[in-house]
Amino acid sequence: MAEYKMESLKTFNYDRPVIEKGYANQTLCIDISDFVISIKPVTEKTKNIFIGGKGFDLWLLWNAVNSTTKWRDPENAICIASGPMGGTPVYPGSGKSIVTTISPLTGSVIDSNVGGYFGPYLKFSGFDALEVTGKTSKDVVIFIDGIDEKVQVFTAPGLPDDSYNLSAMLTERFAKGKPRNISVVSTGPGAKNTLMGCLNFTWYDLKRKRARYKQAGRGGIGSVFADKGIKAIVARWDTVKVKTNNPADPNSLKGVGKKYSREIVELDPKQNQMAKIGTTHLVSIMNDFDLLPVNNFQYGRHPEAENIGQEVYRRIFDPGYDGCWMGCTLACAHGVKDFVPITGPYKGTKVFVDGPEYETIAGCGSNLGIFDPHTAIEMNFYCDTYGLDTISVGTATAFAMECFEMGLINETDTGGMNLSFGNRLSALKIVHQMARGEGFGQIVGRGIREMKSIFAKDFGADPDLMQDIGMEAKGLEFSEYISKESLAQQGGYGLALKGPQHDEAWLIFLDMVHNFMPTFEQKAEALHWFPMFRTWFGLCGLCKLPWNDVVPEDNKETDEPAKVMKHVEWYAEYYSAVTGRQIHPDGLIRMSEAVYNFQRIFNLKMGFGQREHDNIPYRAVGPVKTVEYESRHERYDKQLIEKHKVDIAGKSTEEKVALLRKFREELYEKLKDAVYKRRGWNNNGIPTVETVKRLGIDFPEVLELLRAYGVE
Amino acid sequence: MMIRVNGKKHSWHEGMTIKDILKDLSDSHLYAVVRINDKHVSRPHFEKTPVPDNSEVFLIPMIAGG
Repeated sequence: MAEYKMESLKTFNYDRPVIEKGYANQTLCIDISDFVISIKPVTEKTKNIFIGGKGFDLWLLWNAVNSTTKWRDPENAICIASGPMGGTPVYPGSGKSIVTTISPLTGSVIDSNVGGYFGPYLKFSGFDALEVTGKTSKDVVIFIDGIDEKVQVFTAPGLPDDSYNLSAMLTERFAKGKPRNISVVSTGPGAKNTLMGCLNFTWYDLKRKRARYKQAGRGGIGSVFADKGIKAIVARWDTVKVKTNNPADPNSLKGVGKKYSREIVELDPKQNQMAKIGTTHLVSIMNDFDLLPVNNFQYGRHPEAENIGQEVYRRIFDPGYDGCWMGCTLACAHGVKDFVPITGPYKGTKVFVDGPEYETIAGCGSNLGIFDPHTAIEMNFYCDTYGLDTISVGTATAFAMECFEMGLINETDTGGMNLSFGNRLSALKIVHQMARGEGFGQIVGRGIREMKSIFAKDFGADPDLMQDIGMEAKGLEFSEYISKESLAQQGGYGLALKGPQHDEAWLIFLDMVHNFMPTFEQKAEALHWFPMFRTWFGLCGLCKLPWNDVVPEDNKETDEPAKVMKHVEWYAEYYSAVTGRQIHPDGLIRMSEAVYNFQRIFNLKMGFGQREHDNIPYRAVGPVKTVEYESRHERYDKQLIEKHKVDIAGKSTEEKVALLRKFREELYEKLKDAVYKRRGWNNNGIPTVETVKRLGIDFPEVLELLRAYGVE
Repeated sequence: MMIRVNGKKHSWHEGMTIKDILKDLSDSHLYAVVRINDKHVSRPHFEKTPVPDNSEVFLIPMIAGG
């Protein structure tokens, strides 16, 4: 291990409050420009409107930044919070944190949810949320010690840059013999040298005796973290029990938690086996339904997809308990033991790899035309170690590869790299270049939106074509599902507040496979209810996977099986038991609506959040190139004839591509109309005054902002 | 010659496919994915996927995505 010294720059002592019904009732603010540390109270009004988690983050961030703040500005804040139920050990999936900041990729608010112990440990240390502002040139480590009731800021020259080593060293440094008491948030050199940096949040694996981590991946939060000069933030807390969170009704909590845990233990082995194979089961399923992204989202299936599917990873994963929070019976965070990379600084060395999950396998595998499970593992390892988001890395590299194959860029532009689809060594080389901030990888690390400008300006590439095939919206790279045949999922991506990430609405199966929502109104209703309910998890410190990745056996007999209402009711019971506020399932949606609309208005504050910003590239809607059309010509021909009443006789493929595009783009605009109406927004996608009043977010600055956009 | 479907005994015959199992169910349209032992099989392959004798078959109620 590297030699390093730690020198304290600031120590702040505090009295840890008693947790009351899931809340510490205060937040911690650290300005690292001058090491000013302060505590802000959380009011009852803040709790009522913003609930916790992402809600608290957004409120802190809203007050930290102004409408002209850019991601690198010192006033930009990184906010981390769990939520009132975060840290509950008896209810599966109750250890999540949400991180927000102004994103370097989108220029607006980004949020990213992550497992690991940090959010709960932060709360039990006395803080519902952490807000870090300022910048420093010192590479600091922030230590929040809930046991000894102090916050310290250190410089630590000599600490390694990469997150893999850094996490292990800081866990050991602060553990005082109890490594399970530590959670480290860190990033790596890739975050410093790109706009797509992630944050790694650790949890301690007692069986394997090592710090492992999950990622707050989306939107370049790690890049903000690195730019601020933060090396790591460490939280220390003691044993966690049900009473640590001091729920209002512990007996009810234990009762509903036991029901849920037992159900998962009984049903997960019969259903998706996520406790054994995580989300890797999705690879073959997506492939079978033509939904697995292949070669930059051109195609949805590939004959070699089984090589990167669950049957392969089942053999590769190290067996054992893999819960990223204590007591989670779904325990889907798997890993690979004794993996030996073939490239980079760890070449030839045995390492432990956390993952891969579906998104990484699809993004860094099939979407790059790579069907080798070990390359996906190595991409996973280095992205985490360097602090890079595997989704943005995969989707951005896929775009560069297609540009290369189409001749929009060439080997001179790539520094001599052959970027053809399937070239795994080039894909890995790009990741290493990102970490060093050099070569063509440095350009890919700017993200697709900037790449399109650079390719057009410096390499003479066709901007219109790149607009169609560059899979970004709002500046964020798409996550890894083909949305061409699901209008609802196009909305799920395009109308998502932060950009095209599926955590707001994953509707492909419900729409395309089950046809549960044939009308515009039904799609709009789904694009209201599902984003709201999924938002709720992020307010409370919860993981959404237990909600609908394990389904009660009698769920099919309910009125709306897609909503898994039995579980929604359990979540309402859970919320009531912790906070003491009695709530009905409909009340959960109402909570989310306030925060969701506030985030939409936050986008408006930053100069976005209008109809034009909900546009998506045509590759997400339909076939851009004739070769894509022809690969599914029976499907597209049939749609033109039956759905759009077109006589296609004698029409060339180019003509049919253009016709289909016209119809599909019209449908997407109609979908926007229907969803805006359902959400209580005007035709420009802005919440109306009536809506913000109904939700209690009609703050003077909100109304002033709406007025500036003609909404009165 | 027996298989188990969602834990319940079910008769088996030579050449049996997943489609054969589902055709007797009133709610078969809800199942887009079925698991035979540890292998997931999706609807496009139901008709051509044989179910071996002594299999454990699980009807997966929903695929929820990420």
